[in-house]
Amino acid sequence: MASATAAGDAAPPDVRLGPSPLLEVSDLRVTFHSRAGNVYAVQGISFSIEPGQTLAIIGESGSGKTVSAQAMMAILPRTAHVTGSIRFNGEEMVGRSERELRDYRGRCVAMVFQNPERSLNPTMRVGSQIAEAITTHLPLDRKQAHERAIELLRMVRIPAPERRFYEYPHQLSGGMRQRVVIAIALACGPAVLIADEATTALDVTTQAQIMDLLLDLQEETGTALLMISHDLGLAASYAEDVIVMYAGKVVERAPTKELFAGVRMPYTQALLDAIPRIDTQPHVLLPVIGGRPPDLSVIPAGCPFAPRCPEVQQDCRDQAPPLKQHEPERWWACWHPYRKGAGQ
Amino acid sequence: MSTSASVQSVSRSGSAFARRLAGSPALRLSGRRLLSAIPVLWGVTLLSFLMLNALPGDAASALLGINATPAEIRSFSIKLHLNEPLWTRYGHWLAGVLTGNLGTSLASPQSVASIIGQRLPVTLELVIYALIITFVVSVPLAVLCARWPRGVIDQSSLVLSMASISVAPYVLGLFLVILFAVHWSIFPAIGYTSLGASVAGNLHTMTLPSIVLAIPLIGFYTRFLRADLVEQMQSEDYVVTARAKGVSEWRILTRHALRNSFIGLLTVIGLNLATLIGATVIVEEIFSLPGIGFELLNAISNRDVPVVEGIVLVFGIAVVLANLATDLLYGVLDPRIRHVRARS
Repeated sequence: MASATAAGDAAPPDVRLGPSPLLEVSDLRVTFHSRAGNVYAVQGISFSIEPGQTLAIIGESGSGKTVSAQAMMAILPRTAHVTGSIRFNGEEMVGRSERELRDYRGRCVAMVFQNPERSLNPTMRVGSQIAEAITTHLPLDRKQAHERAIELLRMVRIPAPERRFYEYPHQLSGGMRQRVVIAIALACGPAVLIADEATTALDVTTQAQIMDLLLDLQEETGTALLMISHDLGLAASYAEDVIVMYAGKVVERAPTKELFAGVRMPYTQALLDAIPRIDTQPHVLLPVIGGRPPDLSVIPAGCPFAPRCPEVQQDCRDQAPPLKQHEPERWWACWHPYRKGAGQ
Repeated sequence: MSTSASVQSVSRSGSAFARRLAGSPALRLSGRRLLSAIPVLWGVTLLSFLMLNALPGDAASALLGINATPAEIRSFSIKLHLNEPLWTRYGHWLAGVLTGNLGTSLASPQSVASIIGQRLPVTLELVIYALIITFVVSVPLAVLCARWPRGVIDQSSLVLSMASISVAPYVLGLFLVILFAVHWSIFPAIGYTSLGASVAGNLHTMTLPSIVLAIPLIGFYTRFLRADLVEQMQSEDYVVTARAKGVSEWRILTRHALRNSFIGLLTVIGLNLATLIGATVIVEEIFSLPGIGFELLNAISNRDVPVVEGIVLVFGIAVVLANLATDLLYGVLDPRIRHVRARS
């Protein structure tokens, strides 16, 4: 206990699972500098993704999950300061030149965004937007790129792809647009696909269709899938492993089945409790997580969740618990975790 | 029987063509706009008629000069129908306009229509030439500024733009005449060669006036386009999508953001065109170009009401047509507008 430094989990544990990680993030920190002060959006997270794996990063807004994804894509704005390491196939990507990163984006790691209403250029035909993703990385001519774009449209199950190629984004429904965004992401066969709240803006039926499509495509192409979401329920249905983030840190990590068999970290439990269930009594208020989301401009001495935690004790306020492996394949950062099977 | 059938089909396809033409959104928009312009144009001519009437002096005394006797002036007034009541004169003029007759100049035997026919091409060329110069300079400059916001190019262009917007056209005109005509003798200070006589000679005489007209526009459009481009690059999701594809910043600027920013710029140009047409009056006077603005100033000092009214009408029509062209261009630039129009 006393060995942990005041700043938190300064020495991250090795959270490697398989033999050869495809994407390895270690002690990633992202700080936004501004005149108003610094915002510590990501405070030292570590994890890795194996080829073909489906991993979910779960957290509420401001937990640093999207910023982490943007760091992995190297598309953070210039005001962001990134330290730590992001290795793709063993190659360090942090600190690379813009030219090298351009080569990496879209080809090695690709991303599906949250809002299909806005993530496509309204003045450009969808086909051209897909073809652009292809010709950026592959030495194909116009005609070949056109054929490949139609193939991709067919792959994401868009009917009449030859006609859709020439349409503009506003002529497509939200679900169709998200399919186009997925086609763009898959254009160059990336090894890792990051889906950042990819279904949040869609209605429930479309949401399920898009998730099923993503999993099917993952199977077809063998790409690893990193789902970023606030929805623990979504992760439960689709991901193999779950990472829970809070205040820029990983607070719990486990294989999905084990996580739902017994949550350790009170924050994860609070997230679970906030999911509406079919057997909940009508007109009963859903439990919400009390208090405010953490202020990321100050690093607290203790556990960042302490002010909102139902299990809080004095030592939580004094010292932040480090993320440690407590059981095979299970990590958590908590001084007073729930016992196995308890807290449900 | 077969003949009648074919005739029928021809007439049917003919009417289908007519229906499609009538149903063309661009055509319907144009029709609506031109109809709604009629009261505006009428109001403008009435206002200028009243204002001209409120000015001291009339055409008879202005044309005869200060040495004319009151008797001479009176008889000349009767000859020009200036002794008739205001409303009779306006009604007479309006009746003429409605039958396609703009009347005859009071100062010369020429018809107003022929004066406008002679003078209008000069002004049109001036406006078009100035707009071409504006675009050739401000579009690349704005892209350069937006590529490195707050960089050296951006900051120096900001200073120059502010200067070019602040300086009055007559000061700028005289300054450029001193520099380019008097000091370096690159361009003539005054004079005009028609396009028909010599293209090179025409450009030689028109370049300096067009630059004077263009400079404030360059400053304004560069700043506007630059601001819009930076906004697109910083806050639009489709830009993030393009970055995530691995597309270079240059290509995102020129292929993605520029077209979207043109939509905003178009609004400004539409609002600005009336001011531009007004500025031609001053520039033509400075460079003694025989354009319509030059003629307008002459006609006002001669109290040559039919010519003034005719030119005011032409200016009004020009503004209406320019705004219509702007609106039609929206549809070309923005596929969303095109399709909404087609549906309504």
